[in-house]
Amino acid sequence: MDLFPLWLSLRVAVTATALTLLAGVPLAWALARRRFPGRDLVEVLVVLPLVLPPTVLGYYLLQLLGRQGPVGGLLAAAGLELVFTWWAAVVAAVVGSVALLVKAAQAGFEAVDPRLEQAARTLGRSEWSVFWSVTLPLAWRAVLAGTVLAFCRAMGEFGITLMLAGSIPGRTQTLPLAIYDRVQADRMAEANALALLAVGIVAVLVLGLRRLARLRY
Amino acid sequence: MRSLLAAVLLLAASAPAVAAGGEPPRPTLTVFAASDLAFAFQELVPRFEQAVGVRVTLVLGSSGQFAHQIAQGAPADVFFSADEQFVERLARQGAVLPETRTLYAQGRLALVAARGGPRLTELAQLREARVRRVAIANPVHAPYGRTAVEALQRVGVWAAVEPKLVYAENVRQALQYVQSGAVEAGVVALAVALGSGLDWAPVDPRLHAPLNQAAAVVRRSARPELALAFLQFVNGPEGRPVMKRYGFLLPGEF
Repeated sequence: MDLFPLWLSLRVAVTATALTLLAGVPLAWALARRRFPGRDLVEVLVVLPLVLPPTVLGYYLLQLLGRQGPVGGLLAAAGLELVFTWWAAVVAAVVGSVALLVKAAQAGFEAVDPRLEQAARTLGRSEWSVFWSVTLPLAWRAVLAGTVLAFCRAMGEFGITLMLAGSIPGRTQTLPLAIYDRVQADRMAEANALALLAVGIVAVLVLGLRRLARLRY
Repeated sequence: MRSLLAAVLLLAASAPAVAAGGEPPRPTLTVFAASDLAFAFQELVPRFEQAVGVRVTLVLGSSGQFAHQIAQGAPADVFFSADEQFVERLARQGAVLPETRTLYAQGRLALVAARGGPRLTELAQLREARVRRVAIANPVHAPYGRTAVEALQRVGVWAAVEPKLVYAENVRQALQYVQSGAVEAGVVALAVALGSGLDWAPVDPRLHAPLNQAAAVVRRSARPELALAFLQFVNGPEGRPVMKRYGFLLPGEF
């Protein structure tokens, strides 16, 4: 059996989760701790991908990022191809999963007692240091929960990926797309094997991460 | 916490390198084809690969979705649509080479019956009470769904059958509803009914507007001559008997 979809999905989900963490944790912290213009708009924008059906969202993103689109045109002019490459699958996974991380982490940051952060500030700690030594250690369970949710959503992303990356075997056909493709082609044994593999690998990763987190703290 | 984050980032950085090792060599010809071509092309593609000595990546799916994706720069070399209108639109948009537009087949409808259910030979029988549900492809966007509705109307059973209809995303999904026994009958493409192992009966093509299927070479293709060669292969002496065997009417025969 061709295992390319499995490797591709792992690579896409890991990359997407890393990008989601990089963008999502600061965003969640800002939403929890800062008042800034347009904050309400950002709150809504973050959860918007959960409201629209993924294929519809994928269609809009294709209009935006495709060669004829405003952003895609600029990329093309710069010699960059995004749509229908594996990076398009990463974009799809990030868009689909960012809300799950941000909302979980935001709730975690909001639950941290601001007086503890204030105490650290009175002891001369910088904002950066307050975040790393007080806020994040107290909120890490929520951040980890959000990360696990985001990773699983990224592994299972289907609709946005189908539109934005296509289902090209050996190039952009991720595990969920491959399973759907096999079902469509009436190759149920292969579909079942791939589905079992997806579930098994995510189970091992999620349980492993929990063990790791328990050992660490 | 910091080390956990670092571990994730490290994993992300190393993942592409790990995955790159397992990637197969880059295919040389990418074919986007409507899902009703699944069985015929699964037979034709390996023959073409052998005859011409290239690798072909076959992507099956919805013609309408492929049309959007090709307009936005999808890396297809040649596009086989289930509906000539999508190829016409892409030609107007300049996304396919207009001189390569080819009518390669006309699709036919078939009536399929679930295993263990009532035996069905004509559309009029769908009116009967023992047929509780009938699957067709969504007529709003799937050409075979649109023509199934036309045929039911022409036979004069539309009012009786409409409440029984279940709309699937495409003909293959409609067929799966019948195969799983979730519905008693379906009106699908003859091309997918033939390979299904179900009992089927052809629907008279005069009952609906012709399902003209067209193909064209994509303008951005890096190997248009190879793409055209595949198109001519399907439409030529090698491809035609196979297409015919899978239930398509061929150019010159309709």
